[in-house]
Amino acid sequence: MKDLLLVLVVVLLVATASVFLGAPLVGAEGQFVLWQLRIPRALAGLLVGATLGLVGAAFQLLFHNPLAEPSTVGTTAGAALGALGALVFDLGGAWQLSAVTLFAFAGALAASLVVALTASSGRARVNDVLLAGIAVTLAAGAVSQAVHSIAEMPALFAAAMWGLGQLPQVGYERVLVLAPFVLGSSVVLLFRARALAALALSEDWAATQGVPVRRVRLEVLTAGSLGVAACVALCGPITFVGLLVPHLVRRLLNPPARQLLGLSWLAGAAFLVVCDGIARVLVPGRELPVGVLTAALGAPALFALVLRR
Amino acid sequence: MEREHPATGLRLQGVTLGERLQDVSLELRTGDCCVVVGPNGAGKSTLLRTLLGLERPERGAVLLDDRPIEELTPGQRAAHVAWLPQRPALGEALSVVELVASARYRFGEAHGEALAHARRALAAVGAAGLADRRSDRVSGGELQRALLATLLAQEAPLLLVDEPANHLDLAYQAAIYRRLGELWSRGLGLMVVTHDVNLAWLLGAPERVRVLGLEKGRVVQDTTLAAPDLAERLSALYAVPLRAVEVGGVRQLLVDRSVLPTPAPGDEP
Repeated sequence: MKDLLLVLVVVLLVATASVFLGAPLVGAEGQFVLWQLRIPRALAGLLVGATLGLVGAAFQLLFHNPLAEPSTVGTTAGAALGALGALVFDLGGAWQLSAVTLFAFAGALAASLVVALTASSGRARVNDVLLAGIAVTLAAGAVSQAVHSIAEMPALFAAAMWGLGQLPQVGYERVLVLAPFVLGSSVVLLFRARALAALALSEDWAATQGVPVRRVRLEVLTAGSLGVAACVALCGPITFVGLLVPHLVRRLLNPPARQLLGLSWLAGAAFLVVCDGIARVLVPGRELPVGVLTAALGAPALFALVLRR
Repeated sequence: MEREHPATGLRLQGVTLGERLQDVSLELRTGDCCVVVGPNGAGKSTLLRTLLGLERPERGAVLLDDRPIEELTPGQRAAHVAWLPQRPALGEALSVVELVASARYRFGEAHGEALAHARRALAAVGAAGLADRRSDRVSGGELQRALLATLLAQEAPLLLVDEPANHLDLAYQAAIYRRLGELWSRGLGLMVVTHDVNLAWLLGAPERVRVLGLEKGRVVQDTTLAAPDLAERLSALYAVPLRAVEVGGVRQLLVDRSVLPTPAPGDEP
């Protein structure tokens, strides 16, 4: 509980600080930048970071695998294929959302669905599910390459930019689109914290203690994929958050599995907002995509954690 | 922990599971005590896993109070049968009290309440002091006691226990079997898989302790611990000469190494 409060305070401080990072806010223009640019962007960062951190933790527990992360079940590969298809075939959007967003979302869900169905079928062991995720990722990658080979240069460039990962730049609309998906997904995962903790201990043992293993697996995969699909669709793939944050939390606070989820949710929010703040001001006059920064900070941080053990 | 347990029974009817179990029929009811012995690979652990519904038989039925076990929810099964796996590989390191509290899942209670029950279960096995230690930092004997508390915390009337004394020193082995005997005397149903039938004397009431001998997935011996010909029966089962020796009024089986056949070269141990 103490840890949870501590991390919550850090998140609030970091989120507030990130809003004031960068050029000073003066006059009417300053007000506009604050309320229409920085605050909605920080909100999006909190939502996306929290979701990626939480789903990463949930999948690591579910798969008994420290390498599991939000895109382990093919979500990102499916989204990338969807986004590429929308750009290359110049598809139209709907409901005030771009085709890239819509098709990325559809691709992400389609890929995860295949894996979730594998998980709920018959006597699938948890490693089979992991393999299915790898297979779906590879298959989506192969189809993407086929699409690449027939695509025009501008579409490929746009797809490459999308692939860098970036928080939405303007306004509250996207935050409002994102919120129901990621909050719904978070509620389901946090609600299943105890079952996940039991599964992480030993799947067979959990089953004999009353945990409905297959149902929990399906719920966690579906809810997790839905939240990540919404994030990837709106922001592109933001790497390393889902992998790094749970490990960071483990090494720093060493919580029981049950609390790992809530802590990763908070820590993910803080981590992404910090990265985004730095990405905004690191190179004067232009912004780096936050996905570049999460990877640039995440990789050495992970190395440092491993070596410190 | 001291509540009355409803009468309940778990039954295998002509269960076959590949080579591992062949046409096995048996029943375990509250108040029964059954020790399962047999050479390595005889199907002892598979037998427990099948009774728990973790393995689905190819032929035959697993019935819990006359209902096929696959028709029951995990929660319903957990209310009747608890399992102490053989040296469970714990995927996550956590405090002992959290480990024990995991067995309270079926009650759907607040976590604080689950922890309180877990502490009581630890106290009941004389391990209250372990509660806040990490499960990967305790000794083998301490972990085994924590696992026994986990078994108790589930409050199921039937207990399936797999090699509870493995990797323990002699004092701990005896302590674990005495605790299990106490649980049995309180009316629980007990099935214990073991390599050391001598420990079963510590359960109490040898004439009521059923001994099942498994070989290649079949029940080939069905007797009691008090049976006068137990040594001969188990000699046949393990294919080693066993002698019965009285020590302080307790009959123990010892391997007679003077006539032990030398394994042929190339034989697996």
